[in-house]
Amino acid sequence: MFRQDRVRSTLALALLVAGAVYAYSASYFGKELLAEIAVFAILAMSLDFLAGFAGLVTLGHAAFYGAGAYVYAVLTVNHGVAAGFAMLAAAAVCAIAGWLIGAVTYRVRGIFLIMATLAFGQMSYVYIFENRALGGDDGMSGVPRLDLSAIGIDLSNSANFAFTLVLIAGLTYVLFAWLLSSGFGQALVGMQRNEQRMRALGLPVLRYKAAAFAIAGAIAGMAGTLGAQHNMFVSPDYLHWTTSGLVLVLVILGGLESLAGPALGAAVVIALKHEISTYTVHWAFFIGVFLIVAVLAGGRGLYGLIDGVVRRFSRSKSPEPHDGDDRRQGDA
Amino acid sequence: MFLDIGFWGVQLLNALQFSMLLFLLSVGLTVIFGLMNFVNLAHGSLYALGAFAGWTLAHASGSYWVALAFAPLVTAVVGGLLYVTLIDRLRSAGPMNQVLVTFGLIFVLLDVFRFAWGDFALGIDAPSLLAGTISVGGEAYPVYRLFIIALGLFVMAALWLVLERTNVGAMIRAGVDNGDMAACLGMNVEGVFFVVFCVGCALAGLAGVVAAPILSVYPGMGIEFLIPTLIVVVIGGLGSLRGAIAGALLVGMLQTFGKVIAPHLASMMVYVLLAGVLILRPQGLFPAKSAG
Repeated sequence: MFRQDRVRSTLALALLVAGAVYAYSASYFGKELLAEIAVFAILAMSLDFLAGFAGLVTLGHAAFYGAGAYVYAVLTVNHGVAAGFAMLAAAAVCAIAGWLIGAVTYRVRGIFLIMATLAFGQMSYVYIFENRALGGDDGMSGVPRLDLSAIGIDLSNSANFAFTLVLIAGLTYVLFAWLLSSGFGQALVGMQRNEQRMRALGLPVLRYKAAAFAIAGAIAGMAGTLGAQHNMFVSPDYLHWTTSGLVLVLVILGGLESLAGPALGAAVVIALKHEISTYTVHWAFFIGVFLIVAVLAGGRGLYGLIDGVVRRFSRSKSPEPHDGDDRRQGDA
Repeated sequence: MFLDIGFWGVQLLNALQFSMLLFLLSVGLTVIFGLMNFVNLAHGSLYALGAFAGWTLAHASGSYWVALAFAPLVTAVVGGLLYVTLIDRLRSAGPMNQVLVTFGLIFVLLDVFRFAWGDFALGIDAPSLLAGTISVGGEAYPVYRLFIIALGLFVMAALWLVLERTNVGAMIRAGVDNGDMAACLGMNVEGVFFVVFCVGCALAGLAGVVAAPILSVYPGMGIEFLIPTLIVVVIGGLGSLRGAIAGALLVGMLQTFGKVIAPHLASMMVYVLLAGVLILRPQGLFPAKSAG
């Protein structure tokens, strides 16, 4: 069950403040890095909502990210649609796509779902890659940024842009925390723990799974529009399986089912990725190693580490009931 | 062109040859799933390893046959090492964690291949014995592709014989049916797991070295082939030999003939088939056991 406890609030707030301060104090390169971290933090939180809380572990999340980016790019570059409308349209398209995937795969669980989403993700990659109208392999350039000059904010300034993305990431956290505290969110977590019981209690599983996919898809699509604005360029790489894998690494290393953890995971891994990239082109090797180590270590990632340390130093608080045994049934 | 017997004969052979490669990969995946309830996503990477090992062996020895004999052995050994060091250790952590570790292995192996063999396409020549062509309804068809079909059929028959007619096969089927019960009856389930895993990896390596002369050898070839293999496994139903055969033939035919009849829709049709199976028959066409 999701609870907005002290550790979670402190971590989320600390990340937000650190991001805001860094946006106006870092070098140009630091600001670019911060914007990328914010985009991946949003993406990672949306995957944690789906995989961690709703229990729908997928390997095709990059498809939503890329679809959002491409809808945004096509609407703004080819059709001259205003950036704000294009962002909403991209999120809507991804929500519909997510709903469809959730509805098609609602009887598919665990490993089958992983295989099916990996396949659907690769399908969208191939579709974009082979589609000459969308630039094919070359992608599309000249993607504009949101124009906020009406309220006096210039987003072509990289500090303003990075700050805005950090703010949107903060809002995404609030949105998911609110959703997960609601009856809807509790039902999703209940479904993850024991789907048969929830079905027996009368939960319309198809509708809840489809809705979870739609919400996660819409937010991932939104992250895609932000990524496209950040890079001012879209390419099939947005949809590549390595992007899905990277997001999964952020979530698992940060801490599955913790919401704030994946945002921390994004900050750590994306920064490390840039650090490693300056020494070697083989950074994918390290992403794989991170994933294997995080899974082998068990526990709940970085968030679990922080949580454990805080708990040790505040004994007055009664420990949360341990619910490790009842979860994740029926992987086959 | 559409009324030419030779043309369609060639397409049929192409489809069969593609199906056989798919079969070699998917049969290992599906039987491993049936026994151990987890899917080795790095199976495609072992296929690539088979091709790379085959390339090195063929160039070092000067003979394709040496590569064909020893590349599957290399992948079986590497697969066995991965099993002992990573996969077996995660048994208690559940199948989902095992799958995620094998996903991490895809990244690791991809860069290992890039590092060791470079990031470009390599090629192996087909052995001189099979280098010629044969006439199929008036069209020249490479003998090597016929060899792939024959090899696939041979492996299919051999696996069927082992699974249905031998003691080991009975143990494997018992393990797929009910692993706990089989263990209670005194069967060495752990040993069967290990052997089946290694044989599955060897078959993936065999597919790799066999595919090397007709497809190029490059680091990303594993993941590219993994996707249709997963589709075969999901469509066929996990755990069964029949499912792997049916799925491989279905996907192979659809992909090959789709490219001829409707080139723009070909890459999509397989996914439409996948979505259809997921909706109508989520357990697959020939599941070995009811899936949850």
